[in-house]
Amino acid sequence: MITINNLSKIFRTELIETHALRDINLHIEEGDFAALTGPSGSGKSTLLNILGTLESFDSGEYFLDGQPVQGLSDAALSRLRNEKIGFIFQSFNLIKDFSIYDNIELPLRYRGFNAKERKQRIEEALELVGLQARSSYLPGQLSGGQQQRVAIARAIAGKPRILLADEPTGNLDSLMARQVMELLQQINEQGCTVLMVTHDPDQARRAARHIQIVDGQLHDSTLYQPLSQPLAETLGD
Amino acid sequence: MERITHELMLALRGIKRAPAPYFLTILILSLGLGIFFSNATLYYWLNNDPLPHKSHTLFFPQINAGAHEDGSREPHRILSYRDVQLLSTSDIPSAKAAMFQSAGYARLPSAEQRSPTPVHLRATQRDFFTLFDVPFLHGGRWPDDAARLEIILSKASAERFFGETNVVGETLQLGNELFKIIGVLDDWALLPRLYDVQAGNGAAETADIYLPWETAYDLSIKSNTRTRSEDNRNYNENFAVNGREGYFFQSQFWVQLDTPEQQAAYEQFMQQVVQSEKEAGRHPRPSANRLTNMSNIAEAFDARNRQLDVFALVSLLFLIVCLFNASHLSLNRYLASQYEFGLRRALGASRGQLQKQILADVLVSATIAFVFSLLVAAGATKLITTLLPSTRTLTSWNIEMVAVMALIALIASYVVTVYPAIRASFGSLSRQIK
Repeated sequence: MITINNLSKIFRTELIETHALRDINLHIEEGDFAALTGPSGSGKSTLLNILGTLESFDSGEYFLDGQPVQGLSDAALSRLRNEKIGFIFQSFNLIKDFSIYDNIELPLRYRGFNAKERKQRIEEALELVGLQARSSYLPGQLSGGQQQRVAIARAIAGKPRILLADEPTGNLDSLMARQVMELLQQINEQGCTVLMVTHDPDQARRAARHIQIVDGQLHDSTLYQPLSQPLAETLGD
Repeated sequence: MERITHELMLALRGIKRAPAPYFLTILILSLGLGIFFSNATLYYWLNNDPLPHKSHTLFFPQINAGAHEDGSREPHRILSYRDVQLLSTSDIPSAKAAMFQSAGYARLPSAEQRSPTPVHLRATQRDFFTLFDVPFLHGGRWPDDAARLEIILSKASAERFFGETNVVGETLQLGNELFKIIGVLDDWALLPRLYDVQAGNGAAETADIYLPWETAYDLSIKSNTRTRSEDNRNYNENFAVNGREGYFFQSQFWVQLDTPEQQAAYEQFMQQVVQSEKEAGRHPRPSANRLTNMSNIAEAFDARNRQLDVFALVSLLFLIVCLFNASHLSLNRYLASQYEFGLRRALGASRGQLQKQILADVLVSATIAFVFSLLVAAGATKLITTLLPSTRTLTSWNIEMVAVMALIALIASYVVTVYPAIRASFGSLSRQIK
């Protein structure tokens, strides 16, 4: 599904260069549910943004579905994001003066779906996240958890192959966070690959696979033990 | 269509997010456009060719006639009766007419108790209506250039005096004489009125009543713009004789010369006229004939309004300043919504799709700015015509002008919007949506 070889990313200013990622090699299979963890500033969000083509990289290779991403035009990258990738952001990133329906509809419009097809997909997505009755609400009229569920509905309405979630529960209380995580697991069980950035070990343990990144380097990539095992033992430190 | 409607709805929704900065931008843009439109309107009309299909065939002949030898090689702008007679003897022009402007008072014969109405007169000859493509609504022109108590009314005058336009055969009192109406003109305004530029009346309104040039001499009607006498005759007495025989200059003369050959032949004819006059001892001044084409008449008589040229230039500079300011405000507005641009791109919008949204913004802005700018232009035009009353006739807009103004508003809105929007739609997506 995703293969990256020797990928590096350097952030440059006039004074300094920061190596955000160094020679990353990673392979993610279709249907994986992977958690990307690491301390703040380790490069996990940068890696996620590169995987989502929101950020360019300086060297290396990135293949999505066997297709090289490097060198694609802006239009091709946009199409790739629109058709194959769903995004979930920590701060939900809903447009405040758009209704829930309009927010979910936005990427479907860019996809070129007609009104009937858009409506059907929006209703399916809202049903999955349990917010059918709230479609005409504005984001500000919903709780944080509900807003994140809307963001998930927006991400999955286009039936993407991969879902990229950047701290999806970072702004939620534990109850809402659990609901969102259960939703992500449910989506993963339906066949969608999920890659989630988190620094919460409890959330990370819900993923089938754990990828750790420190100082821009991939340190470990392991399959998680069952949730019942002690946390310290699971993380190996 | 659904997509276009959606983009336009989004553009309108964008206004509601920050109405004050938006309308400030529109206000600045409208102010620049409105001031520019008002000055451009005057500039357009002053530089307009009112007869583009034939102006190259219309000529204003001048001979350096005068009573005394003063060495001047600058011919008078006006001709005497005798000069007109001489220049009219040629059959080379396909049309020719002498004319001058005057003023008088008119009323219906049945309304003797009422005060007569002041009217603008044009004393002219039958070819005037051919030379300048003057349309008739009813009746027609005089059969020849002889004196007769017959007049032609403008449409507005017919409506003013009779309340209707089909008044051919009716009688109107002009001064102390009763005139029979033989024709009524259709709506007509030559802008600028180039046939009168030599008298400085290029922007004046057209006449209310046209009467035969010969009749004007018979009735002692003189030009109210420019006259000149160079002998000792008393032109306030027996003008029918003195005006015709003396050195009394008041008429313009126009000829239509359809080909370069006709033009050359007429120039030769003018030389022969002067030569004959000199041989008869009547043309003491040096030979200095001129045959000025209508297209060059304003330059030839230095009749261009330089003030309006300067106004037009200043208003263009003002528009540019307004565009810069509006663009700056627009940049702030777009940078404030940079997050949304980033989000849209993250969700799969290409730059091309964002450009369509920007174009919808431009269309909405242009429409609002266009309406406001027309209001500003109307106000500015009123101010200019108050300060410069001679420009009163040069302020109308036709469909083509309005269409061009709409296009300019669209381009200006695009210029104001496109750079800020491009700035906002480029850059790192991950940073924009953080």
